[in-house]
Amino acid sequence: MHFQNVIAKLNQFWGDRGCVIVQPYDTEKGAGTKSPHTFLRAIGPEPWSVAYVEPCRRPADGRYGENPNRVQHYYQYQVLIKPSPDDIQDVYLDSLRALGIQPEDHDVRFVEDNWEDAAVGAWGVGWEVWLDGMEVTQFTYFQQCGGLDCRPVSIEITYGLERLTMYLQNVDSIFDIRWNDHLTYGDVHLQGEIESSTFNFEASNPETLFALFQLYEQEAESLIGRSLVLPAYEHVLKCSHTFNLLDARGVISVTERTRYIARIRNLARQVAQLYLQQREKLGFPLLKAAQVQDCATV
Amino acid sequence: MATFLLEVGTEELPAQFVASALQQWRSRIPADLKAHFLEADQIEVFGTPRRLAVLIQGLPDQQPQREEEIKGPPAQAAFKNGQPTPAALGFARKQGVEVSDFELRPTDKGEFVFVRKVTEGRATPEVLSELIPQWIFGLEGKRFMRWAEGDLRFSRPVRWLVSLWNEAVLPLQLENAGTLVKSDRLSWGHRVLHPDPVSIPTAAAYAETLGSAYVQVDPDQRQATILKQVKSAAQSVRGQAEIPGDLLSEVVFLVEWPTAVVGSFAAEFLELPPEVVTTEMVSHQRYFPVRPVGQSSVQDHGLLPYFITISNGDPGKSDVIAAGNERVIRARLSDGQFFFKADQAIALADYLPKLETVTFQADLGSVRAKADRIQQNAQMITQQLTQPLSLDAKTIASIDRAALLCKADLVTQMVGEFPELQGIMGEKYAIASGEPEAVATAIAEHYHPRTAEDSLPQSLPGQVVAISDRLDTLVCIFGLGMLPTGSSDPFALRRAANAVLNIIWSAQLPLNLKQLLQSATARFTQTFHTLTPQRVASKPGASQTGSSPQDTLQIQLQDFFLQRIRTLLQEEHHIDYDLVSAVLGETDPDYTQRALEDLLDLLTRAQFLQQLRADGTLGTLYETINRATRLAKQGSLDTHTLDPAAAIDPAHLQQASEKALYHEIVALLPQTQRASQARDYALLVQELVAIAPRVSDFFDGADSVLVMAEDPNLRQNRLNLLGLLRNHARVLADFGEVVKS
Repeated sequence: MHFQNVIAKLNQFWGDRGCVIVQPYDTEKGAGTKSPHTFLRAIGPEPWSVAYVEPCRRPADGRYGENPNRVQHYYQYQVLIKPSPDDIQDVYLDSLRALGIQPEDHDVRFVEDNWEDAAVGAWGVGWEVWLDGMEVTQFTYFQQCGGLDCRPVSIEITYGLERLTMYLQNVDSIFDIRWNDHLTYGDVHLQGEIESSTFNFEASNPETLFALFQLYEQEAESLIGRSLVLPAYEHVLKCSHTFNLLDARGVISVTERTRYIARIRNLARQVAQLYLQQREKLGFPLLKAAQVQDCATV
Repeated sequence: MATFLLEVGTEELPAQFVASALQQWRSRIPADLKAHFLEADQIEVFGTPRRLAVLIQGLPDQQPQREEEIKGPPAQAAFKNGQPTPAALGFARKQGVEVSDFELRPTDKGEFVFVRKVTEGRATPEVLSELIPQWIFGLEGKRFMRWAEGDLRFSRPVRWLVSLWNEAVLPLQLENAGTLVKSDRLSWGHRVLHPDPVSIPTAAAYAETLGSAYVQVDPDQRQATILKQVKSAAQSVRGQAEIPGDLLSEVVFLVEWPTAVVGSFAAEFLELPPEVVTTEMVSHQRYFPVRPVGQSSVQDHGLLPYFITISNGDPGKSDVIAAGNERVIRARLSDGQFFFKADQAIALADYLPKLETVTFQADLGSVRAKADRIQQNAQMITQQLTQPLSLDAKTIASIDRAALLCKADLVTQMVGEFPELQGIMGEKYAIASGEPEAVATAIAEHYHPRTAEDSLPQSLPGQVVAISDRLDTLVCIFGLGMLPTGSSDPFALRRAANAVLNIIWSAQLPLNLKQLLQSATARFTQTFHTLTPQRVASKPGASQTGSSPQDTLQIQLQDFFLQRIRTLLQEEHHIDYDLVSAVLGETDPDYTQRALEDLLDLLTRAQFLQQLRADGTLGTLYETINRATRLAKQGSLDTHTLDPAAAIDPAHLQQASEKALYHEIVALLPQTQRASQARDYALLVQELVAIAPRVSDFFDGADSVLVMAEDPNLRQNRLNLLGLLRNHARVLADFGEVVKS
């Protein structure tokens, strides 16, 4: 199965199960969780079901394209469903079947793995899913987001698309993944991986990055002041990515590091609270829509 | 008699939680039953990743009928003029009895009202249905969660309940917001091998029924199955399995239907350090490594290019499962190879600047700064040891170098990926960078002991760096005022202090701990003067005690070490409590300072005293020395004077027995001085035993002396004689602390 077909199958599968299939969010981020489709939507009482591909950037993971398993830019397939359905594990196993993996032919395990992202005040408990010893998916019941208790609780399912496809295609390097009939993952991304690694570790200008962080932070604060939730959150993401670039460059000292994380967390918390207030002011519209739908089915 | 089954079905629980939950049930369930007047023939607990279960056999159908006696008010308060008072009426009402049911009986505290009440036993299922929610939600564990819309909290979502009283369902229900989980006889088998529900006909058939649905519910049986399979799997590739206990007990709770599957990897990966290969296998993949038959430890020898994984899948699909796992370990080992090669692109010492990006503690800065402090500590330790141990220049240089480099591997990719390899990789990379072997060994050893059971560093540089690292942590964290309290010791400071003491004692290092602490605290208060809370308190005007921040820190650390010394002497060296006090002094600064200045001498004295107790000598000495010590308190002689010439006026010696004792002490002086200098406490004790009869004569003989004589000169002389005797004995210990054995 080609890389693009894995994505198409998952879109089909989760779309059929009521998830809205959205597109990648156009701000750099380290994980699918940080997309506003997850980070913001997990907050508050409104039901929400979403699935999307998310490109992720982890500057420090760059290896100039030399390591077959590690890259600074990769893809996650992210599902978020609120409230968490009772049969979600079975549904997940069905999604593997949709990809041609029959769980009964393999050793599929749900192994404890809890998740925490201190920089955005979020944590949850769950598992990593092992397929014959390989971690292919992360399963998390969100307990807190932006420092707010998640009520109801969302379930987040994150597939490692490259790992899963490598398994399906029986290849040992990310760059050998067949994207479609004529192109490999390497054809699409290898050169960029080399260049970005060079940028992350050598060419980025720390002074510019420090200045950018400051500007993004100021912008986020002023946008929070004007209650513009999404633009404010985008600037928090920019702060976070800029911090990651500085970190990869090795120019953040110890004391600064803790302070930077605290600054990002502080902004993320404010945005989370602002989002909740905004939705409340709007009368939690998705909650009403869900009730109307319930009535209709009765 | 009945059999009861409870099964709590869940999503996959953390392995540790299942083990702990079963342990909690093992003690709680019998206790709860007993508290409710119920007793069972047998209580068995079962658990897998997806279920916790208890099977109780031989339960009575109902609680026994019970007669209780309840004590009421005193008779005097219950009746006035033969009439019941309001107090009596209230008591009767509360107990549901008539005043005519009262019995009056005398007690130690006078006559009281009693009533006898007969309570009918309730039906056992009724009692159980009240207890069960507490059994489930009374379990304790880490990181509990909520799910869906409800407020229930558990380790993972609860999905079903089986509750059978013999063959009948005992109705129970859990409510989580709108969702109800109702008890039934329907359980669930293995997630993929038996995806349909299984109906359990009767409680006693639980294990057998689940067995037919590919779930082995009994963890002991699963463990036995796993062990047997792992061993035979290893034999199939002519090897023997390495079976770490932690791994085995974890794996037991990762599977419901275990099958050992053997996989292999390319032999070229065996060129990696064996610790890297086993860490990948054990910590990350939960595989059992395989080593050649006849070898006792993977670290010492080699590995075979195989691994054994315990699959939870279909035994018939083992080939596919093995192939999948082989790809995973291949990728992981390639990663390891990549890290190992990349890390060696620069010398270990060249990683030092990068240590500045690793936090030691928020207020204390980076690990790079810590490395400098470790080096400084190591230098002062070396100074103390150079002369007594005749250290050569090469050893001194190795200590210094190892102290500087001991943390450098923390920023290598391998340790970043596998933190448990810290020190081990440092050793490998040091060798690869051309560092002397002694430096490399010390880097690996300085983390020892990593646990209370772990081995101590064997080489001198390893010992010195291990002590230096821990002293730094102790001084700095104490300096921030973050002293361990009760069970809270986040920086493991108790363990660090224990390690310092154990290394000093076991390696016989002649170190003056007090002086080490003084230098380290002085440096700390200089470097971090803006941080120390004591500093604030000692600013002009704020100071109440007048002690400097360094003094306060020094005293706190000394007290902490003294506590650890006391504990270790008692618990690990098995010295009796009173003998520890005798050598360490409860609050006697002479002894506490002496202990901190000379820990080896302290241990020698403690062990010697314990030996004297065992061979009976202490009993002999106790009679004389202890009595002299107690009486001498009434005198004014300090505790240091040993020379009779400085304390006794021979002109005022009257009686033969005191003259005899005096002459004995005069003769004792050179012996005591010799014993003290050579730490030959056997010599001292031999002399003390020899003069014991003179002391007895002095106290109780035909010519016994009245110590508290009217004449102050006589009295002073006699008290001083006893004081001298006490002081001579004090060279060994404070006999005043010894309890008669």
